[in-house]
Amino acid sequence: MVTANGAARYAGRRVRRVEDARLLTGAGTFVDDITRPGLLQACFVRSPHARARIVAIDASAALELPGVHAVFTAADLNGEVREAWYTGTGKLVPDTPRPPLAEGEARFAGDPVALVVADSRYVAEDAAELVDVDYEPLPAVADYATAGQSGALVHEAYPGNLAGQLGGAPWETLAAVYEGAPHVVSETIWQQAYAAVPMETRGLVVEWSRGRGELTIWAATQAPHEVRMFAARLLGVPEHLVRVITGDVGGGFGQKVVPLREDICLLLAARKVPAALKWVEDRQENLQSAGQARHEHGTAKLAFDADGQLIAAALDHVQDVGAYPTPWPVGTGAATGMIFPGPYRVTKGTFSHASVFSSTSGRVAYRGPWSFETLAREVTLDIAARRIGIDPAELRRRNLLRPDEMPFANPNGMPYDHMDPLGTLEQALALLDYDAFRAEQARAREQGRWLGVGISCYAEPTSAGFGYYATEGATIRIEPSGKVNVYVAGGSTGNSLETTVVQLTADALGADIADVHTIQGDTAVTPFGAGTGGSRSGSMTAGAVGVTAAELRTKLIAMAAHQLEAAAADIELAGSRAGVRGDPAAGVSFAELADIAYFQPFKLPPGVTPGLEASGRYSPSAPILWACATHVCTCEVDITTGAVRLLRYIVGEDCGHMINPAVVEGQIAGGVVQGIGGALLEELAYDADGNPVATTFMDYLLPTAADVPEIEYAHVETTPGPGPGGYKGVGEGGAIGAPPAVVNAVADALSPFGVTITRLPLTPAAIVALIEKGQLTGEAQLIQEAQR
Amino acid sequence: MKPAPFEYHAPSSAGEAVGLLANLGDAAKVIAGGQSLVPVLAMRLAVFDHLIDIRRINALRGIAERDGRVWIGAGTTEAEIGRSELIAARVPLLARATPLIGHFQIRNRGTIGGSLAHADAAAEYPAVALALDATIEALSPRGRRTIPATGFFTGIWSTALEPDEVLTGVTFPARGHRSGFAIEEFSRRAGDFAVAGAAVAVELGPGGRISRCGIGLFGLGTTPLRSVSAETLAVGVSAQTLAAGTAAQSPEFAREIGQAAVADLESVPSDRHGPAAYRKRVGAALVARAVTQAIEEARNG
Repeated sequence: MVTANGAARYAGRRVRRVEDARLLTGAGTFVDDITRPGLLQACFVRSPHARARIVAIDASAALELPGVHAVFTAADLNGEVREAWYTGTGKLVPDTPRPPLAEGEARFAGDPVALVVADSRYVAEDAAELVDVDYEPLPAVADYATAGQSGALVHEAYPGNLAGQLGGAPWETLAAVYEGAPHVVSETIWQQAYAAVPMETRGLVVEWSRGRGELTIWAATQAPHEVRMFAARLLGVPEHLVRVITGDVGGGFGQKVVPLREDICLLLAARKVPAALKWVEDRQENLQSAGQARHEHGTAKLAFDADGQLIAAALDHVQDVGAYPTPWPVGTGAATGMIFPGPYRVTKGTFSHASVFSSTSGRVAYRGPWSFETLAREVTLDIAARRIGIDPAELRRRNLLRPDEMPFANPNGMPYDHMDPLGTLEQALALLDYDAFRAEQARAREQGRWLGVGISCYAEPTSAGFGYYATEGATIRIEPSGKVNVYVAGGSTGNSLETTVVQLTADALGADIADVHTIQGDTAVTPFGAGTGGSRSGSMTAGAVGVTAAELRTKLIAMAAHQLEAAAADIELAGSRAGVRGDPAAGVSFAELADIAYFQPFKLPPGVTPGLEASGRYSPSAPILWACATHVCTCEVDITTGAVRLLRYIVGEDCGHMINPAVVEGQIAGGVVQGIGGALLEELAYDADGNPVATTFMDYLLPTAADVPEIEYAHVETTPGPGPGGYKGVGEGGAIGAPPAVVNAVADALSPFGVTITRLPLTPAAIVALIEKGQLTGEAQLIQEAQR
Repeated sequence: MKPAPFEYHAPSSAGEAVGLLANLGDAAKVIAGGQSLVPVLAMRLAVFDHLIDIRRINALRGIAERDGRVWIGAGTTEAEIGRSELIAARVPLLARATPLIGHFQIRNRGTIGGSLAHADAAAEYPAVALALDATIEALSPRGRRTIPATGFFTGIWSTALEPDEVLTGVTFPARGHRSGFAIEEFSRRAGDFAVAGAAVAVELGPGGRISRCGIGLFGLGTTPLRSVSAETLAVGVSAQTLAAGTAAQSPEFAREIGQAAVADLESVPSDRHGPAAYRKRVGAALVARAVTQAIEEARNG
């Protein structure tokens, strides 16, 4: 693509990822690749009990093992905590307890009780087995849904195991609306616990330099600067003496958005050992202790008029926050309620939310942490469509908002703007050919094959522009050779942030993309930024690069105009070169301009400072950029085995203009696959006593390439956001839209069997149980009889 | 997830391996591909002071046809079996079972001897060995002996091998005239352990009647199982009776065989991937599908 002034434009193109060459050839550098002189390794001793009093800990046998340096317990570390609050939630929220090591009581199976430091991880694991912890088992609060009535308390200070609650308008105010509505459909939807499960587990290396008083942390994190601020507050070390270095990170999805308890333990222990200290979590630890998400239920209550127009949408929501949720979970729980009305033309509604403790792994952020609103709403909408007798696509068509209705405030006050929900539905249905699929479905049913189609629509708040997330900075340096380095905070965990920044900078400066490199993730050299999270990096880094590059552009143009004796208005920047409009022969390269800027300052025009470096900081004007999407999934269900085979998966996404369609599609695909896993496969399960029963990949089933169809995209770019480039966020949406699309497809396939699906995951055994319990409709009976 | 310390031995002959095993006793464990043992060690579910690695014993590798039977060395990898034209032609059921074992990375290391000796109730090769009446060879300080597959699998992850015996090879009968084979497996994802599975071998005799039927079940008990009652039901029946249908919609009689195969199962596992009643339902359907396919092949091809 070439713009009017002749500059190559990289934004909007499928530029190849700059990260791929190293990652695909095994040359990436992750935390476990870091080594330091005399490096020590850590291993946690974890509670095997869901709840137990810690009577005594005897580490003497472990300490006698050659190669063991220390065994720390709560008594050694917990008292050293100065402050332990996260910048994103602030110190004013009524945060839940989060001791570094379990103190007095172990509160879930996997709770870290002691920290062993040894020469190698092998020796550390040998020693961990020798740490003798005397536990007195106590009754566990295994099930959050009944935790309010449990005789046991996860934390003594929280009666009824209630971590917090929030709500909207009183439900009574809606009573008349529901009573007078021609159709009211109310269902309680139950979602199982599942988790981010990044390919790279958690981990960090912490090195305390006694002489210089500096702390260096190599961390697998989404937010290097948050790790720095948190560590500084935790230890009372001034922020500018803490350096966080983040190399390649193999996935975060929210799990690595803030330091968790094990990270805190490492930070506290590092000053007590003679060398750098490394902890890299193993897979069992990750599945047992790195947190859970998605475990919640809610009663969705939808009211419709006689034509199927939504009159009211309300959600009563309860979520499991485990023993040590991180960060404070109640705010996200409230967001679930506030966004529940979704991208629909509905003006009445409310929500209530409760966060409840249980004796399980703590709730952590996971890609679209509030996404239950979409699951509850979209599954209930399909149930409503069947009950009212309207096609589910048509029911949505009648209610989805159009761009000309924006801005639109939902009943809980969410200020929707700049989005086209109906457009995403129509594009996705067109790509499927919905009517043709319905015809195919009818033919298949006659042959005893059960096909289904599921739709899910959502509105997604992205790129929050306030508080901790309010700004993002960039430093751009055109080096003496004319090559360009761009410094941003980073926190990429596979999100292609390097490619994105290189693309944006090349455009903004008129540089050849091959001349642009980016440095990210090192707090010593990059400007502050809040990292990846909340689908913010695309828009925010576009803003940061934009304001910073604008300053350099002005300088390059002034220098080129002076050098070429042309008017500044005639200077064009393209291909790492400044040219003169209408005079192809005239020009000066960035390398020549850089040489002047650094080594021949006397050639600079009056008033232009030497050097070619700028730093800028962007602050968006819109508090939120609203993205939206429609997911459409088709499937076939084998009614003998209960197996679900997904046939097609289509995403119509409105994320504004795209910086790089390949990156956008990669983000969507990754999220969709995680959502498919949540609908069909993944369950971070516990037994009735609170013992985790899915702590290996034999029992925690992730979707593989063989389980997922090719994902098809129908982009809607006609309602760009109000931010730079019209870009909106796209990081989380895939994971939000996928579970209900899959559930609705299966429910549609099984509709002749009188099946109503309200509980995830849809394991083959669960599907068979639903079929066996279902009331065969007349159609299915006829087909089954015909086959006999 | 690091194993406890162990001493590593790499004998160069089967005799040497057996000698080490006899000397070291319970503290030693034989390792071949390690695809089951290494995770067990890494998670410290078991600790052995000595590992005896038999991968370097060349005499334990190879595939050869001898007197109408096909011998496979214990150390032969699943990938080698999957690539073997001899196996594809002469022991087709084994060839068809191979792609169902885990993933290709696992098959590159996993061995047939390891699979049989580990005796996982949900694994494919043990069920194939039962369906085909394979013969297992073992070596100990007392010499060599053979054990019929039917008597080999004795309990949960346990076999008829003595503590000082090493499994050295397995022999399968080469496919006969008018025979047919099929393996059907249901797992949560491709490559996972079977929720239920059936390996079926049939031979037709005079008049197109079934003269032999072997049905090996996996994922349906505490050991790999052979369904004698279902086999008995099938033998003597005219293949014509069974052939009126496709694998997806098994004819009524195949369904009866399927039901018979699961009817008297006593220890069907119940776990996260399926309760016992569900596994039986799926198992019956898979037996029916496999029986139908195997007969179809025996009749036509």
